[in-house]
Amino acid sequence: MADSPATPFHLFGIRHHGPGCARSLIRALEELQPDCLLVEGPPDGEEMLAFMQADGLVPPVALLVYNPDDAREAAFYPFAAFSPEWNALRFALERQIPARFIDLPAAHRFALNRPATDEDDGQVPGVAVEAPAPPEDKAGVENCPEVAVNTSGPSGAPLDWLGRAAGYDDGEAWWNHLVEERGDSLELFAAIREAMSCIRNEAPPRTSPASVERREALREAHMRKCLRQARKEGFQRIAVVCGAWHVPALSEMPPAKADNDLLKGLPKIKVASTWVPWSYHNLSFTSGYGAGVASPGWYEHLWQSTREDRAVGWLTRAARLFRESGLDCSSAHIIETVRLADALAALRNRPQPGLDELDEALRTVVCMGDEVPMQLIRRKMTVGDRLGHTPETAPAVPLQRDLQQQQKSLRLKAEATQKTIDLDLRQENDLARSHLLHRLRLLDIDWGSLSRTGRNAKGSFHELWTIQWEPELVISVINASRWGNSVRQAAIARATDRARTAGSLPELSELVNQVLLADLNEAVAPVSQALENHAAITSDILQLMAAVPSLANIARYGNVRQTDAGMVEHLLDSLVPRAAIGLPGACSTLDDEAAQAMRTHIIALHQALGLLARQNLQEEWQQSLYRLSELGSCHGLICGLANRLLFDEQLTSLEQTSLRMSQALSIGNDPGPAAAWLEGFLNQSGMVLLHDPQLWTMVDGWLGSLGEDDFIRELPLLRRAFAAFSTHERRQLGERVNRSTVASPLTSPSDWDTARAEQVLPLLHQLLGIQA
Amino acid sequence: MSQVLRQHAEQQFAEELEELKKADNRERPENWALSPWAVAEYLMGGTLANGFQVSAKYIGNRRLMETAIATLATDRALLLFGVPGTAKSWVSEHLAAAVSGDSTLLIQGTAGTSEEQLRYGWNYAELLAKGPSKTALVASPLMRAMEQGKTARIEELTRIPADVQDTLITILSEKSLPVPELGIEAQAIHGFNVIATANNRDKGINELSSALKRRFNTVILPVPASDDEEVSIVSKRVAELGRALQLPGEPPTLKEVRRVVQIFRELRNGQTEDGRTKLKSSSATLSTAEAISVINSGMALAGHFGDGVLRAGDIASSLVGAIVKDPVQDAVVWREYQETVMKERSDWKDLYRACRELD
Repeated sequence: MADSPATPFHLFGIRHHGPGCARSLIRALEELQPDCLLVEGPPDGEEMLAFMQADGLVPPVALLVYNPDDAREAAFYPFAAFSPEWNALRFALERQIPARFIDLPAAHRFALNRPATDEDDGQVPGVAVEAPAPPEDKAGVENCPEVAVNTSGPSGAPLDWLGRAAGYDDGEAWWNHLVEERGDSLELFAAIREAMSCIRNEAPPRTSPASVERREALREAHMRKCLRQARKEGFQRIAVVCGAWHVPALSEMPPAKADNDLLKGLPKIKVASTWVPWSYHNLSFTSGYGAGVASPGWYEHLWQSTREDRAVGWLTRAARLFRESGLDCSSAHIIETVRLADALAALRNRPQPGLDELDEALRTVVCMGDEVPMQLIRRKMTVGDRLGHTPETAPAVPLQRDLQQQQKSLRLKAEATQKTIDLDLRQENDLARSHLLHRLRLLDIDWGSLSRTGRNAKGSFHELWTIQWEPELVISVINASRWGNSVRQAAIARATDRARTAGSLPELSELVNQVLLADLNEAVAPVSQALENHAAITSDILQLMAAVPSLANIARYGNVRQTDAGMVEHLLDSLVPRAAIGLPGACSTLDDEAAQAMRTHIIALHQALGLLARQNLQEEWQQSLYRLSELGSCHGLICGLANRLLFDEQLTSLEQTSLRMSQALSIGNDPGPAAAWLEGFLNQSGMVLLHDPQLWTMVDGWLGSLGEDDFIRELPLLRRAFAAFSTHERRQLGERVNRSTVASPLTSPSDWDTARAEQVLPLLHQLLGIQA
Repeated sequence: MSQVLRQHAEQQFAEELEELKKADNRERPENWALSPWAVAEYLMGGTLANGFQVSAKYIGNRRLMETAIATLATDRALLLFGVPGTAKSWVSEHLAAAVSGDSTLLIQGTAGTSEEQLRYGWNYAELLAKGPSKTALVASPLMRAMEQGKTARIEELTRIPADVQDTLITILSEKSLPVPELGIEAQAIHGFNVIATANNRDKGINELSSALKRRFNTVILPVPASDDEEVSIVSKRVAELGRALQLPGEPPTLKEVRRVVQIFRELRNGQTEDGRTKLKSSSATLSTAEAISVINSGMALAGHFGDGVLRAGDIASSLVGAIVKDPVQDAVVWREYQETVMKERSDWKDLYRACRELD
């Protein structure tokens, strides 16, 4: 700030998102009355500055710069209401002072990043979240986004060195105390500059990769170039707002040639920019944002409250929060908390309690020393869940506009907190909401996730969704915008495209399901066409069969959603016969494992068809089962199952089935297949055996007909088949067997000596007191 | 050396308190012996401006101690909460010694603690001879603390029956204690405060009423955060106790201390330090205080029956006693620990063998 009068530059080194910095900066700017403002930020986003005066732009918001061809190449530059840059820019706009961004354009940076991300091809190009410049740390040191999250160490954060030197735990606490939580001071910027110069000179070289070093150098060169440009245009008092780390690099001007050489011939790509809403959670460290701050909520409080009512205001908010969550917290608690926080601050030589003191006082007085309730304070207040808002006039991809429009008309607000909503599909509005959420899912915009538990399990007209709007979803929206200009259009195009490229039948049937859930009638035809085409050529019967149950469900229950059931029935008409025809062939050579898998599919399909109750499909299916039920045609398990299914449907008579059974289980057969047959026939359903007298009689009759030797030989098979039943079922079966034997008179001759037995009778009479 | 088995904190650290008083030029709350800053310094240790070394009484988070001291400075009662053996009584004694220069105004809470012990009793000979009078009144430590403006200590607050606990409510909020028999009341003067301790493992014995809870600021003392912290606590206390109890023998090697601490931590946390093996936890508390006593008795064994050097065999017996509190369950836990963890550690062979010999 105290630059020599010759230079028109006034450098203000700040910490991104520091309310204390912001306050001091505004006062400094008011004093300086600059005629030009240069801010560390992407020049590509300069035209967005005009929107800062629009009513609808409510921070936290982020300036999004992205590659319109591939939105995965994108960078966010978040601003909160208390960000120094935000306030400096507003200051300039209100007074109509030219304001410019001077950082290295994102167009270059994306291009520079490219080779690095191409090498490791498994990785999605990282989306950089940037402070008006930098990830990595608060003072403004650039680092590549991939490493930004976890570098902390002596070379990581210059503030930490200073903090430790001053006897604090970390740089955060030190900076908070010295800069953010104290009153305004105009000497601040000179002091910051001195500290940073000192660190940049004294600190050991940073151990970052060469590419990072180079980008650092490029950025600072570009900033200097912009500074020179501004001077050339004849501005007299140029205010430069940048991360504190860069101040020393900008205060000495090397020859222009060196910088120009460095910046010559940089690769460049096309970029677009817009404002997007941002959240406090994304502004905090915990979200992985390198230049984040630990406590956005607290900073907002610092920014809004006056010095005098800072502690009291914070604690009363905490009290209200505790009460809302059902924890005891009276005014008396808060009075004591304020007193304790003050005493703590005095003990630590602080002019007034900071966040640490308030936290500790709350924990001690209100939470009985317990850490758990404090999590609530941390989540809801220290970090906070505020979500910003952007004006409708700000440029946005049409898809985004459409989405906002629908959110508004369906009264489904995009909120940063996680929320569970219960949609009753019989209600028009809820149905439309469900359609919207399903369409977004098709577009990979994961705003909501459908939970399959809860009431959803009971009725098909309820849907439980968990929705949470993450600001990064904007990227997905922009990405999806290449599919179309409205959510509906885009979802249709996406579904059609997926149908074209889908590789497997289950994938397609799932897609059909999704398309129907999302109510995209236009997409049904192409998707089901693709499904039919695929079904025609597929030789995998399992896939065919797997596709049927979900479709059958739609055909039967689809009317809640008012979907076009006719479409599905048409599909089923082509799928089921194919499956039925192919099934016997597919079952001919199965090993045990494959037979088990086949069994589940057959049962599922059988149930699905039962649900549909369509005569023509049933007949096809029954034909197929007849063929399976013939002995020796396929694996024993399947054969037994087919017999059982037919028996249950009363398509084969009792006599015929018992004949089959004794054939399958006759002694001449190998024990393995015979056991499998029995297992398939009993079909893990002890209950049915118990309560179906016909089945019972049949099994019982077969068992009774076995000779003793045969019976012993069959015993292992029986044991194996019955072992699949639960203990309870087996016990009940045993009891039932007992009952029937009790009913029939005992015919076997007694093998005791009657004469000897009679001898004890008199004594027994005597003992029991019975007159003989 | 004095004949007293265990000196009060203010006696044992008289010199430190004296030096602190000299160096302390900050504002003192009325009737405090030291300023809050000096009390924190006394508890956490440090070097004074004149180069005098103050030893650390509490090894752990300074912020907790600052909260406790600030609580006392705001005339709120302090409740130290924590599992047994986390230095609650220790901290309360030293706090009282530093704040009031007197740690002896102590009421031990038991199931039999009566209202008289908290308020006042009578000298019945006097009472019968002369009737109710001030001379016949026997003031409780709490009442004396009120009159003298000192810190009273209540140990094991939650063991005191609930109706007796509630006697404290008036004292803590009105800061006065009426004596209706004499028509007078004792009014607390500045400097009076109460430090209570309670352990949260036996929660629910006599849960504090919420009215009483509200009158306390609570500080939970945690078990030591790291291995190193715990080792340093144990070594330090063992050395001090060894001196006080005149134990013969060398001070224990760091290696043995480290092993005992590690066994305790592992059994307490239910997993090995490297996090690879899950363990059953013992029903014993396995606090730092118990680790100290294990080492201490090991030292006594080594000194009196061995060659004065603490070895695995000396530790083993008291180790078993500390860990196996429940003869059935804990024996299994301990046995499993020996076989799955100790046996595998090559440099723990001696301890393993010593423990097996005892079985």
